[in-house]
Amino acid sequence: MSKFNRRKFVKLAAVSSAAVAVGAGNTQSALAGTPILQAGGRDFSPTTRKERKAIPTACWGCVTRDAMIGYVEDGRLMKLEGHPDSIRTLGKLCAKGQAGVNQVYFPDRILYPMQRVGKRGEHKWKRISWDEALDTIAAKLKPLRDAGTPELFCYHYGRHKASQAATMYDFMAAYGTGTIGNHTSICEGSKWVGQESLWGGMYDNWDYDKTDFVLNFGSNQFEAHTNHIPTSQRLIRAMVDRGVPLYTFDVRLSNTAAKSTQWVPIKPGTDGLVMLSMINVIMNEGLFRRDHFKFMRVTADHHASTNEKIAAVKAAVARFTPEFAEQESGVPAATIKTIARGFATANSACLLTYRGAVMHYHGADQERAAMLLSAITNNLDRPGGRVMGVGAGWKAPSSKKAKVQKALHIKDGFPGEAAFPTHHVSQSLLPMIKDGRAGRPEVYWFSCHNPAYVYGDNNGIADLMKDEELMPFIITSNIVYDESSALADIILPDVTYLERWDWEDMVSANQIAEFYIRQPLVKPLGESRCQGDVWPDLAKRIGIELAFKDKEDYVRQSCNMTPGVMEAGGFEYMKKHGVWHDKNARPNYGFYEAKVDVSGNGVILDEKTGTYWNWKKAGVASEAEAKAKGYLGSKGAKDAYVAQDIGGTAYLAYPPKTKFMKSGLLDFYSDNFASKGFPAFPTYTPVPEHVKMAKDDLILTTYKIAVHTHSRTAHCKWLTEIKHDNPAWINTKTAQDRGIANGDKIKVSSSVGEMTTTAHVTEGVMPGVIAISYHLGRRHSGIYGSGNSDPISGGAASDPDAKNMWWKKHGNHPNVIVPNASDPISGAMRWMDTVVKVAKV
Amino acid sequence: MGTKRNEMADNATTRSQVYALLTIVFRAEPSEAFLKELQGPRFSEALSELGVDLGSEYHAKTKVENCQGLAVEFTRLFLGPGQHISAHESVFAELDGGFGGHWGAQTAEVKKFIEATGMEYASDFNGLPDHISVELEFMQKLAEWELEKWANDDDENAEYCLSVQKKFIEEHLLKWVPQFCSEVIDKADQPFYREMAGITVDFLEFDRILINKSLSSSVPS
Repeated sequence: MSKFNRRKFVKLAAVSSAAVAVGAGNTQSALAGTPILQAGGRDFSPTTRKERKAIPTACWGCVTRDAMIGYVEDGRLMKLEGHPDSIRTLGKLCAKGQAGVNQVYFPDRILYPMQRVGKRGEHKWKRISWDEALDTIAAKLKPLRDAGTPELFCYHYGRHKASQAATMYDFMAAYGTGTIGNHTSICEGSKWVGQESLWGGMYDNWDYDKTDFVLNFGSNQFEAHTNHIPTSQRLIRAMVDRGVPLYTFDVRLSNTAAKSTQWVPIKPGTDGLVMLSMINVIMNEGLFRRDHFKFMRVTADHHASTNEKIAAVKAAVARFTPEFAEQESGVPAATIKTIARGFATANSACLLTYRGAVMHYHGADQERAAMLLSAITNNLDRPGGRVMGVGAGWKAPSSKKAKVQKALHIKDGFPGEAAFPTHHVSQSLLPMIKDGRAGRPEVYWFSCHNPAYVYGDNNGIADLMKDEELMPFIITSNIVYDESSALADIILPDVTYLERWDWEDMVSANQIAEFYIRQPLVKPLGESRCQGDVWPDLAKRIGIELAFKDKEDYVRQSCNMTPGVMEAGGFEYMKKHGVWHDKNARPNYGFYEAKVDVSGNGVILDEKTGTYWNWKKAGVASEAEAKAKGYLGSKGAKDAYVAQDIGGTAYLAYPPKTKFMKSGLLDFYSDNFASKGFPAFPTYTPVPEHVKMAKDDLILTTYKIAVHTHSRTAHCKWLTEIKHDNPAWINTKTAQDRGIANGDKIKVSSSVGEMTTTAHVTEGVMPGVIAISYHLGRRHSGIYGSGNSDPISGGAASDPDAKNMWWKKHGNHPNVIVPNASDPISGAMRWMDTVVKVAKV
Repeated sequence: MGTKRNEMADNATTRSQVYALLTIVFRAEPSEAFLKELQGPRFSEALSELGVDLGSEYHAKTKVENCQGLAVEFTRLFLGPGQHISAHESVFAELDGGFGGHWGAQTAEVKKFIEATGMEYASDFNGLPDHISVELEFMQKLAEWELEKWANDDDENAEYCLSVQKKFIEEHLLKWVPQFCSEVIDKADQPFYREMAGITVDFLEFDRILINKSLSSSVPS
C-alpha cells in the first residue's frame, strides 16, 4: 500500500522546496541547460544507434604491456584486441589482456577519495573531495620537505614502468625523497643481478625466430612469462614450423612443460648445478665453441689466452659431473648429457631461465651459470641465441630537482642481508620500518601494490600496517579495496590503465625497438584520477613546479622530442597509430664485436684490465693520477669506459652499464663477487635449509598461471571464473607416505605460520615438493576474488554473474607461510626455498 | 489558465519539488543546512504523515553529529570502498542481456535519452550518467519545463513533455530504483536512508500513476 496520496504529496512538495533551497547549496548539478523538446534535441541512428571507435592503446595486465586496440561504443569499452601493427605482439593479446574490460566496470570499484574514520582495518570510511585529500597529503609532505627531511616520505610501488614510473620519479626528485621502494626483488631481481655482473646489462631476450634449440630452466614461458605474448607465439611457431626442440626443467608439470619436447623434473634449487654439469659435458667432449672465449674472463687474469681460459673453465666445472648432478637434482645423468650435446651442437640455441631457477639462495649465481653455458657455445647476442633485449628509448621532460635529496636506508635490506641489491630488497622494506633502526617514514604511500598480500609473512606485514605508532600515515592509490588499502588512512581512486596516458617501452622479441603509447579509451569513471595528473597538482600545493601539467602533456612532450617518433608525426601520429618503429632498422646482433676508435682526447689503456677509458670524462685530475690509480681504482671510471683491448684490437665488448664496476669482459670471474666473499666463478651452493631438512620435510614452491597476475586480477570475473582455486600439488608417493588422498584437507606449516588447503595428488610434481600458486586466497579484492560479502553486500551482488558464481572455493594464499628470506647475493626473495611440514587434517 | 491546466501546473510544480528533494538526498552526503531543514517541524510533520520515522536517535543528535554520521553511512552504502550498493541503473537494470557493471548499455541509453532532450551533462559533473540522482534530476527538469509550458498555455508541448516523463520513468527509473531502494532498506544502519529509500520507491509509483492519469485526461482548449 503506497504511503502517498494527493494531499501528502502536495504537503511533502511544499516543505521540500525549503529543504531544496538550502540543500542545493552544496550539491553539484549534474545537468546543464534546459530541455528543448520541440527542437528535437540531438539525433542518433534509428538503426544501430551506435558508433564504434577503434582506439590504439596498451595493456598493463602484466609487465609485457602489449600494444592493443580498444573498441568503444557510446563511451563504453566493449572489447580489447591485439594491435595488428605491433611488431612485438603481431596482433595477439592474452586472456588477462582481453579481460581488461573487467578492470574498468566491476561494481566494487573505488571511484571517490576516501578518508578513514574508524580504526585501521575497521572498514569505516568517509568520502572526501580531491582537494581535501591533496590538501591533507600536502600538509603532511610539505613540512617534511621544509624541515630538510624529505626522506621521511616513502613511496612504495608495485607495477610502475615507462612513463608511469618516470613521472613518479620526476615528482620524487623534485620533492627530494629517495625513499622509494619497488617490488623487483620479489619478481626477478636475482636474474638481473646475475646478468648485470657479467655483460653489464639486463633483460635478456630469446631469439626464437632464428633459434634451433631451446633449453628452459624454470620458466613458465607459455603461461606467465615476463614478455609473454611476444615470445610465446614465436617459440610455438619455431616448434611447429621448424621442429625446434624445447626441453623444460621444472619442479612441476606446468603447461609449458607439458607442451615441451621433454619435461625434465628437477629438485628445487639445483638448476644451476645441472647447467654446470652440462658445461662439464660440453667442455670435456670438446663441444664448446672458441669464438666467445676472447670476450670472457674466467680467472683473475684479464689477459689469459683462450686456451688458458678453456682449461680454467674445464677445471672449474670438473667436479660437477652429470652423475653428481643426478645425485643432487634427480635429473638422470644420461638426460643431462643428451640435452647438453644437443644444445652445444645446434646451429644456435636459446637458454631461458626464470623464477624456478633464480628465486633461490644464490639465485644470482644460477643465472651466471646460465650465461656461462650460453657463452661457451657462442650463443650470446648471436642470431638464434640469448640476446640482449632491445626496447624503446624515449626522451622525456624533466623537472628541476630539489636541492636536498635524501633517502632512508630501508630499501636495500638489513645490514648484511644482500651484497648487491641493485634492484633493492622490497620484501624487507616493511620489516625494516618495524625494526626502526634505519629510521621510519612518517608518510608511506603505496601504489599499484598490495604489500599485505604480495610479500611473505602476510600476517606480520598486515599487523605492522595496522600499527599507527610505527606507520603514522598511509596513503594508497587503488582501483579496488584490497588487503592493504583496507589498512590505509587515505584511499585515492586511481584510474585503470584503460583510462590513462603513457608511453611504453617493453623489450621487443625481434631486436627492433617498438615505441608505443597508451591512451584513454574511456573517460575516467567517477572521480578517479591518473597519478600522472595528480603529481603536478600535489606539487603545486607543496610549492613545486613540475615540467608537465598532466600525464597527457608529459606523453605529448615525450612524443614530440623523441627522435624517430618526432619525425613520424609526434604525438598526433602516436594517438592515431599507437605504435611506431623504424622501418629501416635491422636486428642488431653481436654488439660486442664493434670496433672502437680509442684515439680520443683523454683515452688511455689500463694495463691491468685491458680497458680503454677516458680519464678526463671520469673527472680524474691528471693522466698521471689516472694511471697510478688505474681503471678499477678511479671513481667515475666506469662511466668513462671506452673499449676493451682484445688481442690488440679495441672492441666495444661488454661495457659496464650497470652498478657493477668491471672491465669490458664478460666477468665470469667476478672481483665484485669475490670481494664480498661469494664464489668468483659460477658454482653450486646448496640451499642451506634444504641441506638441513628432516626426513619428513618438504620443499614449498610457488608458481604463476596464465590468467592471473600476483594480486591485480582476482576482481576480474572472466579470469576468476577460469581460475579460482589453487590446491597444493603433491606427488603421489609423497602423499601416500603421509596418508593423503586427492582432495584431502592438509595443513602446511613453516617457520612463520601454517595454512590449510586441499591436496591435488599428481605425478606432475617432483617427490618431496609441494607446489601452490600464489594468486588466490583473497581476503578482499571484490566478490569474485574473495567470495566475501563484507563489509556489506549490495550492488555488486546485483551483477548477474555474481549470482552465477558457481564456484565456492576461492583458494588459499601460500605467502602466509613463506618467510621474507633473501638471496644474500642479490636480495631477491627466496620464493622456492621454504621448508614445510605437510599433514592430513 | 483554466482549472484543469492549473491543476496540471500545480502537479508539475509539486512533482519537480519532490524530485529535487530526492536528487539532493542521493547525490551526496547531506549538508548541515539541509539536515536542519529536514529536522524542522514542518518537514518532520510531512514525513510523519507519510509514516516516516527517523528515530529518536536522529532527533536527539546535533546537526553536526547527524551530518558526520550520515556522511559515513552514505559512503558505506553507496561508495565503498569495497562492496556497496552502486546507485547506477546499469548495475541493476538489464539491457541486451547485460547488467551488473558500471557504464553498461543502459548507461548509454540514459545518456542518449537525456541528451536527446537537448540537455547536457555539466562539464564539472564527475559522476556516471545513470546515477540515481541524475535520473531524478532529469525528471525534475522535465517537470519544470512542463510547468513553463502549462503557464504559457502551450498545452501541446506540456502534454508531450508528460509523455516523455512517462517514457523515462517507465523505461528507466521504475526498471531499477525499486530494487535499489529495497537493497538500501535492507542494508542501511540508520533510519535516514532507509526511510528516504522508502519514500523514493513509493513516490515513483505514485508519480507513474499521476502521469498516466494526467495524460489520459484532456485539457479543455
